[in-house]
Amino acid sequence: MAAPMADDAALAARMAARDADALREVIARHAAILNRIAYRMVGNAHEAEDIVQEACLRLWDHSARLAQRHPAGTSAGAALRLSGWLKRVVTNIAIDRLRAGRRISDEEVPERADEAPLADSRIEAEQRDAGTRALVMALPERQRAAIVLTYYEELSNAEAAEAMDMNIKAFESLLHRARASLRQAFAAQGDAL
Amino acid sequence: MSGADRDEGAPIVPGSPLARALDGYVVPGLSAGFADKVLAAAANRPPLLPELRRNDVTGTARGWRLGRRIAIGVAGFCALASAAAATGLLERVGLPVPSAGKVWASITGDEPASAPAKPVVAVAAAPVDPAPAALAPVRIEGLIDTPEELAEAFRRIDEVRKGRSELRRRLLDERIALEKERRAAAGLPLPTPEQEARIRQRLEDARLRRERMLNERIEARREELRERVESGEALTREDIMRPIHQEQRSLQQRVKLERLRQMSPEARREALRQLPPEQRRALKEAWQQQRAQRLGREAPLAGEAPVEAMPEARVQPEVSPSETPPDGPPR
Repeated sequence: MAAPMADDAALAARMAARDADALREVIARHAAILNRIAYRMVGNAHEAEDIVQEACLRLWDHSARLAQRHPAGTSAGAALRLSGWLKRVVTNIAIDRLRAGRRISDEEVPERADEAPLADSRIEAEQRDAGTRALVMALPERQRAAIVLTYYEELSNAEAAEAMDMNIKAFESLLHRARASLRQAFAAQGDAL
Repeated sequence: MSGADRDEGAPIVPGSPLARALDGYVVPGLSAGFADKVLAAAANRPPLLPELRRNDVTGTARGWRLGRRIAIGVAGFCALASAAAATGLLERVGLPVPSAGKVWASITGDEPASAPAKPVVAVAAAPVDPAPAALAPVRIEGLIDTPEELAEAFRRIDEVRKGRSELRRRLLDERIALEKERRAAAGLPLPTPEQEARIRQRLEDARLRRERMLNERIEARREELRERVESGEALTREDIMRPIHQEQRSLQQRVKLERLRQMSPEARREALRQLPPEQRRALKEAWQQQRAQRLGREAPLAGEAPVEAMPEARVQPEVSPSETPPDGPPR
């Protein structure tokens, strides 16, 4: 888990002043984790990148309001966590897109076998990856987000609940159901194999 | 929740088969130049629209706006309800509207002071008989040739006059009560008790004055009739009643003429124009007679106000339908 940035309020203030370098710094710090969350939510690299870009642009748009509410050098400014804000935005955008059914189609299956060396091992790896992705994708959107945030990104339940705009009890219940669903799907997948 | 369910919801242990399967979910990295792409999009981003005003106000202002709307709604409802109650709309649709006194009495537990409303209810419930037994026309049959018979005829006439006088007084009270009720329902100001007492006193004074004048003339006429009976003359009904009617007409005409004299020429002309022709003619004759008596000649002087210019806005019927002389005030 990344440590909270101490100068998030200052970054917000710079972005509010339309400092492009500040946005570049934010992207450098947070884009990777945001991309992982988005990708594991939607299962598509292009759409994941699109979601991360949308989240960064929303931060750019709302930086003035964030800077106003969290002035740098104050206790409110010290409480500002851009990472948490961005994770929440990415999660919500991903859930919205999944619900709206606007996902770009899954990666296409190759029409013909690759004749290159080590093709068998690559196909095996792709099949394993596809199996894992199918496990996660089989979960409902919110359960999927709970697994992504807590298992893959190792957020605490409280942080994950905040990212999903939920109270902690409701999130724990959701996470419990998500794990149970995942285990059932995994068991079913094993039986199928 | 069963034990199996609880196990299925337990955290995923690292190194377990499920964890190994999940760990195989590899995420591709962001494309090269992602940051530049985002920065370029940010540079071309249109500026945000200003925030809505309702998001900009404080909770206090929002609360005041809501309170103001509620206050306007309540005030509007009260105005509509008051208008409906004042126009009697609620009573027409079967919703009783209690008066403020009744509401106050229901709160305090006191007896409602409904005494003033009772006469009105009584009038509506039991309309006055227009011709009760005491007001029946006096019938005189045959000749009257003794003082006792004449006294009896006068007694009956006086009895009817007294009954009519009472009836008029009661009608006057009812009319005042109805008028007060109408003004109260229309929201108009009501006369104070002092004003009402003054009006009643003025009406009573006028009635007494007219009655006194009429009584003087009737008494003089009766004295004449008594002398005729004592001298052995037999009187018919017409001998007794006609002079009374004539006196009554004469008195009324004098009152009307006096009113006409007090009017301006234009108002006098207009009032005369509104009179029936026979009344206008009678007034003209009375006017001419008075002038002749006063000036000692038959025709009015040239250049004086013409008789047609005399008014009477509202004239009582000249002859009582019950053949007895009306003694009420001309209205």
